Amino acid sequence: MTVQVVDETLFHSLDPVLLRGSACASCGAHVFPAMGSCPMCTGTDVADVALPAEGRVWSWTTQHFEPKPPFRTDSFAPFSIGYVDLGPVIVEGWLVGRTQWTIGEPVRLVLAHAWTEGDASIHTFAFESAGAAR
Amino acid sequence: MSARDDDVYIVGAARTAFGRYDGEDNELAEQAVRAALDDAGIIWSDVQFAVGGTNGETKPDNLVSRLGLTGLPFVTVKNGCATGGVALMTARNGLIADAADIACVVGYDNHARGAFNASPTRYGIGDWFGQTGMMVTTSYFALKIQRYLHDHGIDPRTLGYASEKAFAYASHHPYAWRRTPVSVDEAMDADMINDPLTRFMFCSPDAGAVSLVLARGRRAFDMCDRPVRLASVALRGRRPGSFEVFSTWLSPGERTSPSIDAARAAFAAAGITPADVQVAQLQDTESGAEIIHLAETGLVEHGAQTAAYENGDFSITGRLPVNTDGGLLANGEPVGASGLRQVHEVVRQLQGRADGQQVPGAPSIGFTHVYGAPGISACTVLMAEGE
Ligand SMILES: [Zn+2]
Repeated sequence: MTVQVVDETLFHSLDPVLLRGSACASCGAHVFPAMGSCPMCTGTDVADVALPAEGRVWSWTTQHFEPKPPFRTDSFAPFSIGYVDLGPVIVEGWLVGRTQWTIGEPVRLVLAHAWTEGDASIHTFAFESAGAAR
Repeated sequence: MSARDDDVYIVGAARTAFGRYDGEDNELAEQAVRAALDDAGIIWSDVQFAVGGTNGETKPDNLVSRLGLTGLPFVTVKNGCATGGVALMTARNGLIADAADIACVVGYDNHARGAFNASPTRYGIGDWFGQTGMMVTTSYFALKIQRYLHDHGIDPRTLGYASEKAFAYASHHPYAWRRTPVSVDEAMDADMINDPLTRFMFCSPDAGAVSLVLARGRRAFDMCDRPVRLASVALRGRRPGSFEVFSTWLSPGERTSPSIDAARAAFAAAGITPADVQVAQLQDTESGAEIIHLAETGLVEHGAQTAAYENGDFSITGRLPVNTDGGLLANGEPVGASGLRQVHEVVRQLQGRADGQQVPGAPSIGFTHVYGAPGISACTVLMAEGE
């Protein structure tokens, strides 16, 4: 089975896996995914950057019901999503490995299987536990 | 007090029952408009300016085909959950700008069952966001209140207090949808939808319509014994640092909120402070939203919500009755009607003719707050005044 990602433009690189954001030369704001302008200061002098791969859970929830389409899954089971504080920006993504989390606990970026399409496994970015909470 | 020419008053108010509705959207809207006209003692041909709001597919301005082809200007607004507040503001501005005397506002919707199904492309986000299950409004609310409870050290049981209060009020209100009381324990122990929010902590999309008749200056007192002055209405959008639905990222800096900005502007324009409010309506899309909005509007300090619920502050005999018709939790959310439902309830409270439980002591200052995607809020201050 070949591995593909849900949207290549989300990634700076796949090995190692790093998210691609953009940083504003005027105000320093980072956003994800990368954009051509800065919503914080309205500037347009922005450049793509690789975002940090480790951070801390800023908030979390577990999705207990199956979302409507366009949600894709092989078979639904409750899954966690969260906002992860990466330092320059807080990014929303899956939290994988369990369904109960603690705000402030360290996590790291990984790729996770999202759904199967033909003989391809479609992966998305996710965060897994990187040790005990501070 | 003598009315000034640019004072705008609510002189008629009506709503339908909220819940499921099998008929046409426009039919529902028409019912509300005709009832509001009756309440104001006028007919459609008296109306000089109209505003209609819906989040659905129908065209509010085509209501004239049912109400009468009088040639009046009819503006349509579509601002998500804030539609009602924007419609009211548009009507107020229309009356003043056109020096017209009478306006009619109507908001309605008739939604299908279940959570809203948003399209990523409509919000300018890639397909991946929906495909991976993050384009879900309930998870947004959960993520926001989870962080808020953490930041302010609030006991999650406070979520149950908000639900219990909503359904307690609704059990007395003839037009609310969900009128069965729910205990705090039942709310806390119900099926988890998105941690920390259970089934009894969310409102559902449903059907309903609300209409208001507005009059400018002296004319209001000719039409109505107890006109309610629209002392202020303020609309604000998001600034950097706000936490909005379908955000792929957040800035790590100071948190802002369009609700904070709109409430401040509304209080300032009305010349009052939050402490002056005697009856309020807050956007309670879920229990956590009420808890957050109590503080963002300035009605309660951040972190003081739990004690205030426990003290009964927001109940009918409390310091500040909040969402006295059961709010969105018990009325559901027909998006276009919801903000006007709030105004309708406060107007009836200030006129001493509440449909459900009446706030005792003849309250004279009310407040309403709507908040919605993609980060907008509208607030009003309403005042009951003699001439
Ligand atoms: Zn910038």
